[in-house]
Amino acid sequence: MAESELLQGTLDLLILKSLALQPMHGMGISRRISQIANGAFDVKAGSLFPALHRMEQAGWLASEWGESETRRRSKFYRLTRTGRGRLQSESQRWERISLAMASALRAK
Amino acid sequence: MLAVFFRNLLRKKQTEQELDDELRAYLELTTAENVRCGMCPEHALQKARRDLGGIEQVKESVRDIRVGVWLEILVQDIRYALRSLRRNSGFTTVAILTLALGIGANTTIFSMVNGVLLKPLPYPNPDRLVTLWETHPAWGPFLTVAPANFYDWRQQSTSFSRMAALDPYPDFILTGRGEPRRLAGAAVTADFFPLLGVNMALGRSFRATEDHVVVLSYSIWESYFGARTAIVGTGVRLNDEEYTVVGVTPRDFSLVGKTSDFQARTRFDVWINLGLASPPEAWTRGTHPLSVFGRLKPGISLQQAQAELDGIARNLRRLYRDDNDAKGIAAIPMSEHAVSGVRTALLTLLAAVVMVLLIACANIANLLLTRAAARQKEMALRAALGASRKRLAQQLLTESAVLVLLGSGFGLALTLLSGPALIAHLPADLPRIAEISVDGRVLAFTTLITLATGIVFGLVPMLQSRVVQSRGVRLNARGISSGQSRLRGALIVGQVSLALVLLAGAGLMIKSLSALLQVSPGFQTTHILTARFSLPPRYANGYRFGTAQHRRISAFQRELAGRVRAIPGVRSAGFTSYLPLAGTNNNWSFFIEGRPPNPPGVYDSTDYRPVTAGYFETIGIPIKRGRSFEARDDEDHALVVVVNEAMARQFWPNENPVGKRLKFGDEHWRTIIGIVGDVHHQGLAIAPAPEMYIPWGQVPNVEVRPTIVVRSFIEPASLTSALRKAVAEVDPEVPMDQVATMGQLVSGSVSEARFRTAVISLFALLALFVASIGVYGVMSCLVSQRTREFGIRMAVGATRGAVFALILRQGAKLAAIGIAIGLVAAALFGRLIASLLYGVKPLDAATLAAVSILLAAVALFASYVPARRAANADPMDSLRYE
Repeated sequence: MAESELLQGTLDLLILKSLALQPMHGMGISRRISQIANGAFDVKAGSLFPALHRMEQAGWLASEWGESETRRRSKFYRLTRTGRGRLQSESQRWERISLAMASALRAK
Repeated sequence: MLAVFFRNLLRKKQTEQELDDELRAYLELTTAENVRCGMCPEHALQKARRDLGGIEQVKESVRDIRVGVWLEILVQDIRYALRSLRRNSGFTTVAILTLALGIGANTTIFSMVNGVLLKPLPYPNPDRLVTLWETHPAWGPFLTVAPANFYDWRQQSTSFSRMAALDPYPDFILTGRGEPRRLAGAAVTADFFPLLGVNMALGRSFRATEDHVVVLSYSIWESYFGARTAIVGTGVRLNDEEYTVVGVTPRDFSLVGKTSDFQARTRFDVWINLGLASPPEAWTRGTHPLSVFGRLKPGISLQQAQAELDGIARNLRRLYRDDNDAKGIAAIPMSEHAVSGVRTALLTLLAAVVMVLLIACANIANLLLTRAAARQKEMALRAALGASRKRLAQQLLTESAVLVLLGSGFGLALTLLSGPALIAHLPADLPRIAEISVDGRVLAFTTLITLATGIVFGLVPMLQSRVVQSRGVRLNARGISSGQSRLRGALIVGQVSLALVLLAGAGLMIKSLSALLQVSPGFQTTHILTARFSLPPRYANGYRFGTAQHRRISAFQRELAGRVRAIPGVRSAGFTSYLPLAGTNNNWSFFIEGRPPNPPGVYDSTDYRPVTAGYFETIGIPIKRGRSFEARDDEDHALVVVVNEAMARQFWPNENPVGKRLKFGDEHWRTIIGIVGDVHHQGLAIAPAPEMYIPWGQVPNVEVRPTIVVRSFIEPASLTSALRKAVAEVDPEVPMDQVATMGQLVSGSVSEARFRTAVISLFALLALFVASIGVYGVMSCLVSQRTREFGIRMAVGATRGAVFALILRQGAKLAAIGIAIGLVAAALFGRLIASLLYGVKPLDAATLAAVSILLAAVALFASYVPARRAANADPMDSLRYE
């Protein structure tokens, strides 16, 4: 699926979800999203980094500097307490919406 | 929010670097992945670049997002702050008003300090300008200068690019344009205007050798010469002589200096050439009318110039022992000399107003704490819903920032609106009044105190957010933590101690002012009208020393006095040349008959006053011995003198001076016929000096500026028009000005002390009021926080009295600590203002005790009301509370 078709808020949720297990750097997040969405989404850097910085400022993510697998200084993001709460509430909302959408579309 | 803003500002560079690192790491990782997928490194990098879509574009959009989010949060926080401030309109109004008053008062006082003390003088390269004075170990450090000495200084020194002199005495009578008018003139050397760097608005300054040329002040040019540009080159008649106008000073030109250096002149209307292009006559080393200005050469320090002047002074002492014995030369920066008399007073006011702001800040901090306690549940709830501690603190900080900004905005408006009224009330002899304005520096100061205030407030929300954290999500959080109540206690103690310092300062100044006003000046201050005349040159028959040529002046005085005495309501009238407390003075040397001659360079000299018969009786100076002047003491009769008690004490300590003789430089013996009481001539705070009085008809020089003194049965000011009419009848060409009642002169002589006393008293009252509100606020808050505890106490048997005493004790304890600290601070403050006090010691026990008691009483009353409320509460209600 092309990235432009991502619904508003979807990218945020995907980022939150991708960080649920462990802290990751930007590239890792991008690959993880691609992996958990079975390759449906290809998140480009031009969308990913603005989103990461926005979410960091909003207090959902925190970051620290660490070393990547190529031994280069990289910025690792992790979920904050607020971010974790956000992931929970957004997941629930998204499930409700997708259920509702699915049933609406099935309706005769 | 603000914290984020500042972090962004300060760490902008770091943020950029981090973003760069982050993206480069991404690029590298993607490239490495591509290589793993089998691409050659070059292609791998290219593909990674393509995928990334341009590092700069990504960076740009990240930056946009960061700013956008920042703005969004800011707007959100401001909106939230405004909403919450509006909800608590009472709190908001009190806080903003307090801040506006505090910041406005600070801005106003600082604009005065800035205009008078801090601004550079309004001339080019002002730090190179100095004033030069003669010094004498006995007569003082800043004496005006003899023309011949000035000439030698200018000739011999090399440290100055220019040196100029000003003689403030010349007066001119401008006639032929309606009512005659006296123009205050200054005679200056040709170097004067170039030295100050004044570029004439019209024409030019005069040249050293030009005579009978005049430079007009801008205001006189505007008001008397119709602002005609064609004025330059035309003639004007001044004192019956023809002068050519060569220039007009710029509109904003004024001579910065002490009015006391210029014979009470605050401005000059016309400027003529003092000459001194060639060596002056030798006798001018014995007369000292000049103020001297110098401009230091580039690269020459004041110390170097002073060292050179010391050498010149040594040389002059050796050459002219008669006139220059023991005399030195002092150079002092022009900016310093002009304001040396008011520096302490202005800085004291600044200190006082900063204290007021601190007290106000403490109050608002207290209010914020009270609110914080009330909002603890709200905060705890929001924290539970996931708001981070930082976000909460940011929000509260934004709230404080909004408060402070609104307060300082209103404060600044207050300053701008009240500015003109304030300037109208300033003592007229305050130097540099014209330069008081709200300029960049004042705005910077306001910004600075606003920021400082904001930080003080900012701390409160920080502490508050710590409280929130420590309490976690205990929704039933109740009461204030002990840390917080300690903080509030400290705030109260601080307020009380600052208020005490201000009250003590005000108390001392009030006591000093009233001591000053109780000084008996030595003459009558009520029912006396005074006015000064300027007699045209024909009255003087040309100035020559030692010749009695006053018949026309005496005739004028006799005729005018006669007409004035005939005015209904007038009791008596007399003339003097130098009125007490009017800022003018003259000093003469003399020789006492039968005494061994003084060594060269040592003189007996006293202040000297030409007066007419009837002067002592009119102004109410008592005759202590001998007789007063009578009409017969004139040009044709024996020469006589009256001395005051101070002079009698100093020169005839164990004798009766009546009948003794003395002489001036004119070599005529004069007999002392009486002794009169001392008067405070130079100021109420200044001890009377030895004085001698001479009948006007017998003075050896010519005095053409008589001041009439009229004693009345009725309100003296009401006689002004009748007096003016009488003068016009005697000689319509004699201008009359400087009309004042003796009461006004006395009051004007203490106007600086009165002004600062009034301002500091106002500040002290404000401080007392604000601090008492602070105590009241904290005690009531304490009572409401502990309502439950009191309920329990009473339920288990505590009496109402015990609860009442408990609270009162708490208030009393805080007040006592505050007063104790305040007393120490007040002692230090008292030492700082010691030079401003008259007749009261800086550690005046009565004042300190009185203000302590006042403050204690107010603090106790402020605790009494909440204590009553607690004691009268129904214990059952208290227990049900919450």
